[in-house]
Amino acid sequence: MTALRTMSEPALVEQGANPPPLPWRRMAWVTWRQHRTALIAVLAVLGALALCLWIVGVKLHHAYAAATACHPASSAACGAVVANFNAIGNFLSNGVVFLVLPPLIGAFVGAPILAREFEAGTFRYAWTQGFGRWRWTVAKLVALGAAVTAATGGLSVLASWYYQPYFASGRRSPALTTFNPLSPGVFVQRGVDFAAWTLAAFAIGALAGALIRRVVPAIVTTLAVGGLLAVATGGWLRMRYLTPLVTRGVNAPASARIVSQWGSRGGRVLFTGPPTFPIYQQYCPAQAGLGKFGGPTSSGNPLQCLVQHGFTLWTSYQPASRFWAFQWIEGGGLLALSVVLIAATVLVVRRRPA
Amino acid sequence: MNVIEATGLGKRYGSTQALRACSLAIPEGHVTALVGPNGAGKSTLLNLAVGLSAPSEGTLTVLGGRAPGSLAALDGIAFVAQDTPLYKHLSAGDMLHLTRNLNRCFDRAYAEARLAELGIPQKRKAGRLSGGQQAQLALTLALARRPRLLVLDEPVAMLDPIARHDFMASVLTAAVDDGVSVLLSSHVLAELERVADYLIVMSSGRIQVAGEVDDLLANHRVLTGPTAEACRYVERPVVQVGGGGAQAHLLVRATADTRSPRAGRRTRSASKSSPWPTCASPTPPRCPARSARAMTTRRR
Amino acid sequence: MSIGQQGSTSSGGSAGGSGAGPSPAGTPIEFRLDPATGVPTYLQLVHQVEHALRLGYLRPGDQLPKVRDVVASLAINPNTVSKAYRELETKGLIVGRPGQGTFISATLSQVTLPELSGLRRSLRSWLAKADTAGLDESGIVALVASELRDFYERRSGSPTRGGAAPGETEGVA
Repeated sequence: MTALRTMSEPALVEQGANPPPLPWRRMAWVTWRQHRTALIAVLAVLGALALCLWIVGVKLHHAYAAATACHPASSAACGAVVANFNAIGNFLSNGVVFLVLPPLIGAFVGAPILAREFEAGTFRYAWTQGFGRWRWTVAKLVALGAAVTAATGGLSVLASWYYQPYFASGRRSPALTTFNPLSPGVFVQRGVDFAAWTLAAFAIGALAGALIRRVVPAIVTTLAVGGLLAVATGGWLRMRYLTPLVTRGVNAPASARIVSQWGSRGGRVLFTGPPTFPIYQQYCPAQAGLGKFGGPTSSGNPLQCLVQHGFTLWTSYQPASRFWAFQWIEGGGLLALSVVLIAATVLVVRRRPA
Repeated sequence: MNVIEATGLGKRYGSTQALRACSLAIPEGHVTALVGPNGAGKSTLLNLAVGLSAPSEGTLTVLGGRAPGSLAALDGIAFVAQDTPLYKHLSAGDMLHLTRNLNRCFDRAYAEARLAELGIPQKRKAGRLSGGQQAQLALTLALARRPRLLVLDEPVAMLDPIARHDFMASVLTAAVDDGVSVLLSSHVLAELERVADYLIVMSSGRIQVAGEVDDLLANHRVLTGPTAEACRYVERPVVQVGGGGAQAHLLVRATADTRSPRAGRRTRSASKSSPWPTCASPTPPRCPARSARAMTTRRR
Repeated sequence: MSIGQQGSTSSGGSAGGSGAGPSPAGTPIEFRLDPATGVPTYLQLVHQVEHALRLGYLRPGDQLPKVRDVVASLAINPNTVSKAYRELETKGLIVGRPGQGTFISATLSQVTLPELSGLRRSLRSWLAKADTAGLDESGIVALVASELRDFYERRSGSPTRGGAAPGETEGVA
């Protein structure tokens, strides 16, 4: 057959030498074409949320302006304006949507990247093309990760604008509703948290897809791991980024988030949490029927009663002023986690035989 | 230049040894058939050659010394895996565009002309094409990359005879036109006889036979005779032992005395092609003390 | 597992002939393959050319199909086609002109009509004798095949699959 071969092109590459890698921008169209359904879905959902936030937010800002400009502040008419402001809310306020979206985005955008290639067998096509398999993976993960992070970051900016009236600094009438900035539902909507969680969930999804190699199990795993991580952080970890402040009494300063409460007597901790019915029964039977935080009655404040019996009541809390510190700590931690997981994914692709 | 060269190649998956002690040197410019029963290790060998897995032991180089999976090797080798994987929800035109983006060299005009010739509309989704059309699309994408080596893993297993014929005609035409070396695996031997001029036979993870078809045919004989006499040929390289109780067939590699004296007027000698690999020899038959009876020689 | 094919003279001759048909003047011969016989592919091509020459469908100066076209229509290895063409060239039947293609350059020697009738007559009487002796059809075929093989082996001195004197049908041993 050698005699019949047409003149082959002169070898571009000497034996053993590698040609220069292809430019990264070649993967732009590839990534878009293969993942455009997922990206468009994410953009559609985020766009709908943005629309909600925008419409209600405009109303909110107007009402806030009206409420703060209203004088005198204690008149009935101004009271009505304030009530109008307080009444504005929407389904996003409780933050459930913002808590649920990152694992969903991570699962449906991140997990299929590698899982679908393995499941359909198309990795045998994709990874024998000239681009090279670990470069292909890096290009896709970076491009899609950046895309979802940017999209959710944009929504976060809008949400932060939305919540401005609630967290405006300066003199505020105590009648205006406010939110606890450290409560999970609110914390995730403002600042960098939403984008950071999305990126982390995306990275979890990518690694799950690379290890599990089947789309549906990878999606389920990502939802589970992402969800668990979010619950653990919101419920426990976030309160411990910095050592909580401790104060006596059962009340924390306004807008602080209570971490734990306990009562001690004679140096020993006798109960955790707010004082309970059995404690009252034991020491202050007269006030036992009033419940935990009974107001002053004719028989006296039940908490005062406990204090008289030698109890010291403690409350540890995180002040609202630490909001941005926690945002950066959490954001930074999630970013580091994402980088590690994405690097691990690339390593798995590079080393593990198909 | 050898398109594939292996020395002592082995591959282990967990506790299973899929390949063991494989040594090969396939010269360029041939259509090579890799045959063997299911589970012989054909797909494993091909996966190693295209860089989808890494060997557990031994060495493997492709296209004259390049490492499989390296950029230099990826550029020169086009692979069509079993069941011709394509992105089912992408159209044929999208697949063209995709392949163009992922490769240094892509002859788009050739690919589009081929698709038009085959009657595959560019707008149709790959999943909607028939089996034969999908195979042809995958082959078009591979050939348009202008590779030096085309590797096909059981390319025609799922195709009807007409599609099979068309597919192989395309492959062989490319081999003539562009000088592409071809390596294809199959467990259907009959059709490969017409197609291949270099043959590798695998079984249980080992390479039993490897060489140019003409040389193999000239240098192997089937000896048929009484089973009791089979032991006389034990010292020769025996490839296979078969047969029933009284009669045995031995497939032997011809040495000087088994070769018919009038054979051998060949302008090409076996030594020109790649060296004989180590051959897994079956257990030689037991030799009772009996008087010899002639064994008939039949060139095979 | 068997690598090669068995060939016998009789099946070689007839199998090779089941194939190439006449084609309109100007277009090359159209090859066909019969996979059922044990005849090697390249031999089938050689026989088809010889058969066409004998029947007059091919004349000196006619062009044989390009290797590429044969490969495209039959899906066989290009080396097989080149081998067949080389074989025909060795026999002196064709010649390759670089840049133009492969052309028929000679005809097969014909046996004259009286000689043919004489041969036919002696064959007929031999067949009658064999039939009387009790040989059935396959017995006759086997006998003829074996004798034919030995005859050409003795005559040409080497029973390679291609090496017969030009102008004769060669038998496959």
